[in-house]
Amino acid sequence: MVATMTSRERVLAALAREPVDRTPSCNPTSVATVELMDLARAPFPEACRLAEPMARLAATGYTELGFDTIMPVFSIIQESSALGCKIQWEQKDNWPTVRMREPIWEKHEDVRIPDGLLNHPDVKCVTDAIRILRREFGNEVAIIGKTMGPWSLGYHCFGVEPFLLLSLDDPGKTKLCLDKMKEITVRFGLAQIEAGADALTLPDHATGDLVSGEYYARYLRDLHIEFAERLPVPIILHICGRTVDRMEFIAQTGMAAFHYDSKNDPAESMAVVKNRISLVGNINNPETLFSRGPEQVKAEVYKNMDAGVQLIGPECAVPLQTSIENLKAIPEAIRSWHKEHAGNN
Amino acid sequence: MGLTRDMGRRVELVSMDPHFHDITLGLYRQDHNGRPQYLVYTYSGLPGAIERRETITQIAQILGGTDRFSDWLQFSCGSAHQTAARRLFLESCKQAPAAVSSARPLGILDKKTGRNIVVSNVGGGVYQIAADGPEEGKAARIDAIANGLKKLGELTAVPEHPDQVAFPCGQSHDALVGLLLPRALNVRAILREEEEAGTRGLLVAPSQQK
Repeated sequence: MVATMTSRERVLAALAREPVDRTPSCNPTSVATVELMDLARAPFPEACRLAEPMARLAATGYTELGFDTIMPVFSIIQESSALGCKIQWEQKDNWPTVRMREPIWEKHEDVRIPDGLLNHPDVKCVTDAIRILRREFGNEVAIIGKTMGPWSLGYHCFGVEPFLLLSLDDPGKTKLCLDKMKEITVRFGLAQIEAGADALTLPDHATGDLVSGEYYARYLRDLHIEFAERLPVPIILHICGRTVDRMEFIAQTGMAAFHYDSKNDPAESMAVVKNRISLVGNINNPETLFSRGPEQVKAEVYKNMDAGVQLIGPECAVPLQTSIENLKAIPEAIRSWHKEHAGNN
Repeated sequence: MGLTRDMGRRVELVSMDPHFHDITLGLYRQDHNGRPQYLVYTYSGLPGAIERRETITQIAQILGGTDRFSDWLQFSCGSAHQTAARRLFLESCKQAPAAVSSARPLGILDKKTGRNIVVSNVGGGVYQIAADGPEEGKAARIDAIANGLKKLGELTAVPEHPDQVAFPCGQSHDALVGLLLPRALNVRAILREEEEAGTRGLLVAPSQQK
């Protein structure tokens, strides 16, 4: 029997695959919604660019929805903006995106990290928001940061198609690019740790639709091992899509957890990773959280918990129009699962 | 202690109110004593947000011919008519404040064909659609409008009367039909609007972005 834990203790234990008092609800990406933006007086895009609204909106994941984590880095474009990518900032109801059809780099010699990277407003707002949250919540709740991996940065800075073509035509130069860009990942990650992040999500979009498992092993496994060694907090790797074909390689990286998509069956995924890495996920966004009701959310939470998945949460950043009711249903379903299984412990 | 409230199931959302500081408005449904009721709500704490919410509730009451109990709206028949309620909410949010003083008429000029379309309440929740002008193409146009009403308001077909549609509750809802009629003339536009709204706010992986 494990004594009652704080949210932070629970999350960190689950990331280490240690015993927990109950399974944590974890949000490694974003649970920001338009309604929570109103509640927190923190609409997009300001909440992606200014520390105080960013922190206020992120806090609602814990204070309103009941998750065990707070994640203030809603978007995936903060460091790309600092690198000089053109950003479509959008409005309250849509995500900021990088204009990848207007790439800033063409060849590996172009890869350059600006001296003031960590002081760029779109990067600094993240570290400042983490500091605000740490000050406000102390050690009560796990604060998760986010630093983009070099494959994702490659898409942003070179464009998706040119970067993929480069990887086909010239693996050597592709590795040179990745090697240079990995320093962005490390620097931003370390800055967030220094600001108070308990763990880091590391999205690196070697997604199932475009990149094979073999590609992952060739280009990214060693880099991810290096991140796990150089970033001294638990790392949660995030890759969208069907990824069972690379979970074996991912499990070898030494990262704490893999944030996985609903395209992967929980039991099948758990069987592949064999307790070498925790799994986080994998409640479906577009169909379940966005379009259905709490009963369906509960069913997916139960499916993950029955499979022994260590941390439960949405599969990716939730749609901004997701209902609060559906998001609250995740921690509620975790509690009800434990209640129903109390006699079995 | 959280600030969010349990208001039942959210059935519709306007992410950015075009008439009031881009606040988000939701339509929530709860069943009270077995009768479905709807609440317009916003989490915005901006000064004037409560008044805006009240304005929309009043507009919805007029345009939908609904009864009101405190902040909650319900159809007099006691049925949910949820698809129609969602449309009522969306249309009410679109209206300029203070622009609505009465329900919409049961007749309209169909700009596509130049015909006057008139819908008549024939009792028992059944409505008959008629159009003036040449016979050629008339039945097809009436059929299309009937299908539009069925889609937007979950009305049903009346056997052997392709020019009629009916509310399953068997009750009259003249205001609701007046609300749905202009949209029933061009349902494709509504479907496009819904499709566009359904994809906004979804974050896709970089590999899927355009």
